[in-house]
Amino acid sequence: MFDSFVAGQLAIGASVGLTYALVAIGFTLIYRVLSAVNFAHGEVYTLGAFATLVAVTTLKAPPLAAVPLVIVVGLAAGLGIERVAFRPFRRFTDEASLKSRAVREATLLSSLALGIVGREAMDQVWHGQWLAIPQDKMLNQPVNLGGVMLSAGELAIAGLSLVLLVGLQWLLLRTRVGLEIRAVSSNLVGAQFSGIDINRVVLATFAVGSILGALAGMVVSLAYGSIQSSMGLTVVLKAFVAMVIGGLTSIPGAVVAGVLIGVAEGAASLWVASAWTEMVAYVLLIFTLIFFPRGLFRRRGA
Amino acid sequence: MNRPLPLGWLLAAVILVVVPAALWLFGSAYAARLAQLVLITALLAAALNLLIGTAGLLSLDTVVYYGFGAYLTAILSTNYGTTLPTEILAAAAAGALLGGLIGWPLVRLASIFFAVATMGLATIFHTTVLNWVDLTRGPMGYRGIPAFKLGEFTIDGWAGNYYVIAVVVLGGVWIVHRLTHSYYGNAMRAAREDEDCARAMGLSPHALKLQAYAVHASLMSVAGALYAHANNFLSPDNFVLLESGLTLTAVVVGGLGSLPGAFIGALVVVLVPELLRPLGNLRAFGFGMILFLSILFLPRGLWSEVSSLAFVRRHLFREGWLKR
Repeated sequence: MFDSFVAGQLAIGASVGLTYALVAIGFTLIYRVLSAVNFAHGEVYTLGAFATLVAVTTLKAPPLAAVPLVIVVGLAAGLGIERVAFRPFRRFTDEASLKSRAVREATLLSSLALGIVGREAMDQVWHGQWLAIPQDKMLNQPVNLGGVMLSAGELAIAGLSLVLLVGLQWLLLRTRVGLEIRAVSSNLVGAQFSGIDINRVVLATFAVGSILGALAGMVVSLAYGSIQSSMGLTVVLKAFVAMVIGGLTSIPGAVVAGVLIGVAEGAASLWVASAWTEMVAYVLLIFTLIFFPRGLFRRRGA
Repeated sequence: MNRPLPLGWLLAAVILVVVPAALWLFGSAYAARLAQLVLITALLAAALNLLIGTAGLLSLDTVVYYGFGAYLTAILSTNYGTTLPTEILAAAAAGALLGGLIGWPLVRLASIFFAVATMGLATIFHTTVLNWVDLTRGPMGYRGIPAFKLGEFTIDGWAGNYYVIAVVVLGGVWIVHRLTHSYYGNAMRAAREDEDCARAMGLSPHALKLQAYAVHASLMSVAGALYAHANNFLSPDNFVLLESGLTLTAVVVGGLGSLPGAFIGALVVVLVPELLRPLGNLRAFGFGMILFLSILFLPRGLWSEVSSLAFVRRHLFREGWLKR
């Protein structure tokens, strides 16, 4: 019984899943380098969405012209988060303390606290309301894809996640900065001995990761049209789940897991009331962890 | 050596005599409610401290067992008119059983995987409570939970409520105290610091973690039972992930692995938001700032594990067992 309704639900699920995947890319990149969870990533995503809103309403720019502004906002947010919530906890430079549980848990909590502060600040500025992107600026033109109707925005999300994934792999595998990032993530002290400036590499990682997060916020707000200061919270939790199911350190794994979560949610909405679908991702997570305690796609040697 | 301070009795005296007297002299219904909430939060923080501080499992599932105990008690007392001892025992036993069943697969997971899995549990629990309307009355909340009943007597008024809560909380904290300040607690610390090393010494890290998890679930479930009666009303909004974060904050601010820290942390997380009430909408903002600054400037909490262990050894154990 593969009718167009089922296909439509699965397609919607997949596009929601790509949203999780988009956020998970930046989130996983930061985790890979520092083994630290950046809970403030969701607020970068929200900031990206708000920057888009400001660009298209106040500055009256066409949607795509918002890209430079969003990139600048993401860059500033990333550097700020690193400086405020992560740098102060790298007090010592020996490997034991840099990778210690205490530092990991401290940065997890400090980024969580910074996330709360950021969310509340945005709540004050935009009064916690749902704001709408004007209809004519949204990417909502219908596209017929072999009988399944999708909006241009959903295709843009899919396209952007593919582009970012490939671009990131290129950055990591083909450039000097990428080499340094990989060096730091695989052996911190060794990288230091070879003359790599750790602080600079960590800053670069946060910059790249946060720009990806802000771009995700932009394209999602253009596709779905509504923005709220707490929108980053649910998405970052799902991205976190996607990262864990994907094996913590594998970026393609996180993307696959994100899509998997979205499709599972879409499929679940065929059988159960939509209120219950909120827990699908977490049920999937717990069952995955019971059978694959280290996630689905673990990088070799990690 | 000076005569050790009878610290346990001192704490009991403050909670059972000084605070009620102060409430009776100067207090209001509002202050009494806050005092009850501080005590319940202290039990939650003590239980979470056993798991995070002593056994080293970073978990975010406080609301699962807290809420489970609360709803269990609400359903029992509304439908069957149960009395206090039955409810406490039922909450403790059912909490331990649920914790054991869930903990069995989960405590095997390595640190961050465990944290995410418990985060998932919290969300699953909230969704279930919100949507299983037949059992939990869903988003409307569970209204009209009767007051504490002890045998034939119904305990009402703030003083009665306060004393029931104080006695049960002191009992729970005493259990955590005995577990953590013993060879058993040291075994848990050993398993936390180095699993392979602990295994080499004949300890089973999995069993120790599972036991810590079940005990913490049981105590939190008891705290939930107290909350259901003290509040008379339960709403799914009381059991969102953020509430787990609040208990975690109490543990971190008070000091990981430190039992006196659990009380200090509970005071901070209950009273600071109340003191920030004049800030209005900026309340959560202020709260985030306090959490952030306390992690930055007090990385070991207000009362660290090491100094708390030393303190307890000095003041509670006449014949310091370290000397043997």
